[in-house]
Amino acid sequence: MPDRLFQVGSPSTHEENGLSVQLGRLRLPNPVVTASGTFGYAREMAGIVDLSRLGGIIPKTITAASRAGNTPWRTVETTGGMLNSIGLDNDGIDAFITGHLPYLASLVTPTIVSIAGRSQEEFVSMAQQLSQCEGIAALELNISCPNVSGGVDFGTDPDMCARLVRSAVESSDLPILAKLTPNVTDIACMAQAAADSGADAVSLINTCLGVAIDWKRKRPVLGNMFGGLSGPAIKPIALAAVCKVKAKVDVPIIGIGGIANIDDVMEFLVAGASAVQIGTANFYNPQVCMQILDGLPKALRSIDADSVREIVGSLQHRSPNPPSSAVAPTSQPTSEA
Amino acid sequence: MSDVSLVGKQLPSAPLEAAGPPYFADGLWQGTVEIMENVQLAQDTFRVRFRCPEIARKILPGQFLMLRMSGCNDPLLGRPFALYDTTQSSSGAADGLDVVYLVIGKFTSRLSQALPGERLDVWGPLGNGFSAMPAEHLIMVAGGIGQTPFLAVAREALELRRYGEPLRRRPRVNQVTLCYGARTQEFLASVEDFQELGVDVRVSTDDGSFGHAGLVTEVLESVLDQSRLRPTILCCGPEPMMAAVARISSDRNIPCEVSLETPMACGVGICFSCVAKVRQPDGRWDYRRTCVEGPVFGGQQIDFS
Ligand SMILES: Cc1cc2nc3c(=O)[nH]c(=O)nc-3n(C[C@H](O)[C@H](O)[C@H](O)COP(=O)(O)OP(=O)(O)OC[C@H]3O[C@@H](n4cnc5c(N)ncnc54)[C@H](O)[C@@H]3O)c2cc1C
Ligand SMILES: Cc1cc2nc3c(=O)[nH]c(=O)nc-3n(C[C@H](O)[C@H](O)[C@H](O)COP(=O)(O)O)c2cc1C
Ligand code: FES
Repeated sequence: MPDRLFQVGSPSTHEENGLSVQLGRLRLPNPVVTASGTFGYAREMAGIVDLSRLGGIIPKTITAASRAGNTPWRTVETTGGMLNSIGLDNDGIDAFITGHLPYLASLVTPTIVSIAGRSQEEFVSMAQQLSQCEGIAALELNISCPNVSGGVDFGTDPDMCARLVRSAVESSDLPILAKLTPNVTDIACMAQAAADSGADAVSLINTCLGVAIDWKRKRPVLGNMFGGLSGPAIKPIALAAVCKVKAKVDVPIIGIGGIANIDDVMEFLVAGASAVQIGTANFYNPQVCMQILDGLPKALRSIDADSVREIVGSLQHRSPNPPSSAVAPTSQPTSEA
Repeated sequence: MSDVSLVGKQLPSAPLEAAGPPYFADGLWQGTVEIMENVQLAQDTFRVRFRCPEIARKILPGQFLMLRMSGCNDPLLGRPFALYDTTQSSSGAADGLDVVYLVIGKFTSRLSQALPGERLDVWGPLGNGFSAMPAEHLIMVAGGIGQTPFLAVAREALELRRYGEPLRRRPRVNQVTLCYGARTQEFLASVEDFQELGVDVRVSTDDGSFGHAGLVTEVLESVLDQSRLRPTILCCGPEPMMAAVARISSDRNIPCEVSLETPMACGVGICFSCVAKVRQPDGRWDYRRTCVEGPVFGGQQIDFS
């Protein structure tokens, strides 16, 4: 493996490459975005990732006031994935604006700031404050964090979700993405609510609720007991969410969940995602985004596509409403990189 | 910071000082290596050796690296391991790495069965490492598998090898002692490696099967009582032991650094798993990432409660 994989490309080269994607009002040079909470504030990765090649960066979710986060243990590996209960550990919006935003804004890569509020008012005031700042391409509303108690659950009630998204859209000129939780009966219904309220795109999915038990000590492994499951284990759940929303709602989708290589990315694009976010894979393969970007043009050529846009949602169904067992495989994943 | 070897120079010289800015892994190398040797040293304890000049020539004592089985998703995440020591080519350049590990779970049991030629994903060097502060008598206190970071520390302190890029020169230490606590004699690993360097090794075991029967902190107190040189303490092991050592050092007003072994998921500062309670300048504690602000902290910086 080469030491570094630098291959700086200006936004105009990306256009020619057919890699750029449009998510409502938000245009990204390519569909590979780093997921919130899994890429720090980007500065941490500058030594190993050519940040300028990324399609977008979503730093760790910020809140109005600083939060210490949850008691350790905060993460534990489970088969094919991991549980986390970080608890939105962050220094608050003011520290973000003075401490992290200047660096992010200095990058050519679009920065999408992820925010979480305990109330609609808090979301709105954060959106307003960030709208005054230079160097932000969009906001992602984290209405799906399973690790924060005491907050209102905007992620599971379609009416509250709709009102929140509407108020964010009205209080900011920035494109608004709504990040949804899979821990609901009908994710398409939540996506519909967000789309009807003016969300530029929906990000699917946040982590799936889980628990790990240490039976010898008769204790939960995580300090917070409950955590969010992420990593390869949740990819089929995320793909199902993308397919369900794509079938019912006319809104651009950013697919998230277990993406670890170029095959995974192509699966999400074909399923209907216009872009993807890479999360847990950054932890166990810090160069994963660079490897995916290296492989993207070749993967597109292999199915005779000239652009990312033309393959988004190109999934062929056997019947309009197939039982899940009758869905034909759409690609043959090669072995893990 | 563009060169990781600068890291050692920027460490707080006074152990009571609060944590500085994080030590981002700007000199990070990630790649795949082949196991050259994987040998058992003691009960459940092994040493794995692989060629990796990219990390070996940069790494400092007390820094760590992440390891995982290449091409294997179970275990999925990398696991953090301290530098045990570098190996050198015939020309004397650092070209390989040794890691000494205790088998406790999924990855370490899998690794203990790995044969030469099997591949590992590795990334590092990570974390800050021990500061190269001047000391007359360096006393290293280890519990469990906590002796692993100290071989390279001792080698550097006794001016037997230099580490980092450019090679760092640390002030010479007159005497180096290792106080090493283990469960039983069977778990004692690499004592001879230390003795060969000229380190005075003082052992304690829980069951008295070797050395002092009792706590390693009792061994430390007697070493301190006997020492006529200006001591500095470095410590790595289970948290209650590190808490006790930090207390002893503060009671006796001796500089002390502890190396934490908090569970980690990324090792590079992007997941916020690895936090410990670190005292802030205002006296309160905050959860800080040990992979980028540590794993080495001043003994008084950590709130062990
Ligand atoms: C900076 C640093 C340096 C380290 N250096 C070394 C070293 O040189 N040699 C060495 O043997 N180990 C070292 N460790 C610890 C090592 O990382 C863990 O032992 C390893 O991750 C265990 O992996 P596993 O898959 O075998 O165990 P898992 O299957 O992940 O866990 C098995 C059991 O051990 C517990 N466990 C796992 N990790 C830890 C931990 N960090 N602290 C306490 N309990 C834990 C789990 O709760 C579980 O019950 C270091 C840790 C850090 C943070
Ligand atoms: C350690 C960790 C921390 C996370 N923190 C956040 C967060 O702060 N905000 C957020 O919207 N999502 C957060 N997530 C969720 C991820 O952004 C992503 O939606 C999820 O992990 C699924 O993707 P993956 O399987 O690729 O990791 C976090 C995930 C992990 C593993
Ligand atoms: S281990 Fe991920 S932030 Fe420290």
